Amino acid sequence: MSENILEVCGIHTYIGQFHILEGVTFSVPKGSITVLLGRNGAGKTTTLKSILGITPPREGKIVFDGQDLAGKPSFKIAQLGIGYVPEHRAIFRDLTVAENLQIAERRKGDLAARQDFIFELFPDLKKHYRLAGGKLSGGQQQMLAIARALVPQNRLLLIDEPSEGLAPIIIEALMHAIRRLSESATVLLVEQNFRMASRLADRYVIVDDGASVQSGLMADLTNDQATIQRYLGAA
Amino acid sequence: MQLSKGVSWRAVRQNWLLIAALILLLIFPFLVGALTNTDPTARRGLAVYWQGIAIELLIYGILTMSYNLLFGFTGVISFGHALFFGLAGYLMGGFQRAPELAGSGLAIGIVVALSVCAALGLLIGTATLRLKGVYFAIFTLAIAEMAYIFLSRYEPTGSEDGFTLGALPEWFDPTRNRIVFYYIVAAIFIFTFILIRRLMESPTGAVLLAIRENENRARTIGFNTLTYKLLAIVLAGVLAGMAGILFTLLNKKVGPEMLGTAYTVNPLLMTIIGGAGTLLGPVIGAVGLRLLELQLRNVQIALGDAVLDIGRALPIILGALFILVVLVFPYGIVGTFTRWRLNRRARSAERAAKQAEALKSVS
Repeated sequence: MSENILEVCGIHTYIGQFHILEGVTFSVPKGSITVLLGRNGAGKTTTLKSILGITPPREGKIVFDGQDLAGKPSFKIAQLGIGYVPEHRAIFRDLTVAENLQIAERRKGDLAARQDFIFELFPDLKKHYRLAGGKLSGGQQQMLAIARALVPQNRLLLIDEPSEGLAPIIIEALMHAIRRLSESATVLLVEQNFRMASRLADRYVIVDDGASVQSGLMADLTNDQATIQRYLGAA
Repeated sequence: MQLSKGVSWRAVRQNWLLIAALILLLIFPFLVGALTNTDPTARRGLAVYWQGIAIELLIYGILTMSYNLLFGFTGVISFGHALFFGLAGYLMGGFQRAPELAGSGLAIGIVVALSVCAALGLLIGTATLRLKGVYFAIFTLAIAEMAYIFLSRYEPTGSEDGFTLGALPEWFDPTRNRIVFYYIVAAIFIFTFILIRRLMESPTGAVLLAIRENENRARTIGFNTLTYKLLAIVLAGVLAGMAGILFTLLNKKVGPEMLGTAYTVNPLLMTIIGGAGTLLGPVIGAVGLRLLELQLRNVQIALGDAVLDIGRALPIILGALFILVVLVFPYGIVGTFTRWRLNRRARSAERAAKQAEALKSVS
């Protein structure tokens, strides 16, 4: 694999007085789909939030494409080219589909340049272009949340639990979309659904109890039932 | 279809309410004059009385629209909005009656007052907008109350009594030439409405709405939300200051009550009742509530030997009305109506899609 676009080195993150991340280290190669795996409450979402500066780490180092992210506010980190798709279909419910996409433009013309690609991935969004985001179905909202991160030319996409609460047929469509978008950007994914993660990602990082415990190629993990049982409880 | 260069029927249809309101505002003095058979350009008379009421309603409309920009569109709750309203009145009044400034005191006063409102908004915003929700609201309340207490004890500005303005130019004087003052206030009201509408239709407006919905989310897209909130507080402060200047000119007097909580709470209630986060809601809230207050304050109902003084019971009546409106219209009058209309449209689109699907499967 080529050089790394993201390096996370021994980060420790606190939320209030709680020590959530106690040493997370991993790297994400350029052009890969890397998935953070782990049980509920292991610290996967906090890891994404730490990268984006929403809950900045107190110790450790995060380097994105050669730039140290320490001390940078989250809007500056996003402007470097990191798109974030939070969990729970985090769209702007009061804004229309069009406005949700337009707001994500970092430069004038971003949406015009990318909208064919976005509508090819998610044709439903074209159909409901003038509808308020809150009126879309759960799957469509998730599509909109991902589409929003595609509007600017982001080099890294952080996607948190895209399959959460969605029907299998929608998950399939999302998997296809994530695979397509990984052709133009690196993807770091948090996913509880191991079946989806194993089919989608080419690299993995296991986070357990706030620390990264293992990482490598997904192909190796799918053959390692002992590790899967131990950290993920999935067969 | 094209009406003339740059004007289409579609634009007229989309803005029919604005155009109707504009025409009503333009003809209002003459309409009332015709209905009451009085001269709208005279110094006294029923037509002139109604012009005074309309001026007051329009000023409340400007104040409430400014509050809505902050609270309704950006989601920033301020309990100190009266600070801008009252302070602008004091500053404009102070310069206007300064003898050494001769005829230019009024113009200098307006410029200084609006500039101070902008600077104050910037200062308060920079110092406190990082505070979340209620803490920001309490901070703004504390600043406004401090200014209120200071000005009600500061002798050079007349302490509790405030002070009256010096003589105004005749063409501009709301007592001697009310109709001109009416048109000036109406023009500023329309300007405020169009300014806020243009802002909310721009990409900046979409960011303000996004901040209202989820500030963290807006930040992770790459927006420095503090800058946008500062823009909202500065603009809202300047517009509230403009309302304060007009109110002072109308009454030819300024006093510390203009910095009191009533001038924050009233726009807040008017915004909620009309529909926070809608363009028309605050105007309807302001006009409806103030008109109701003006009409009921002198009403007395004889009940046998006893007399029910509606004017004295007005706060209770308005409180009950507020509870009722909030229960019946949870998003305010305009907000609830808009949601109802959008839901109906979405349901009929869904029905049409289902019918089309069914037809497709049959064929």
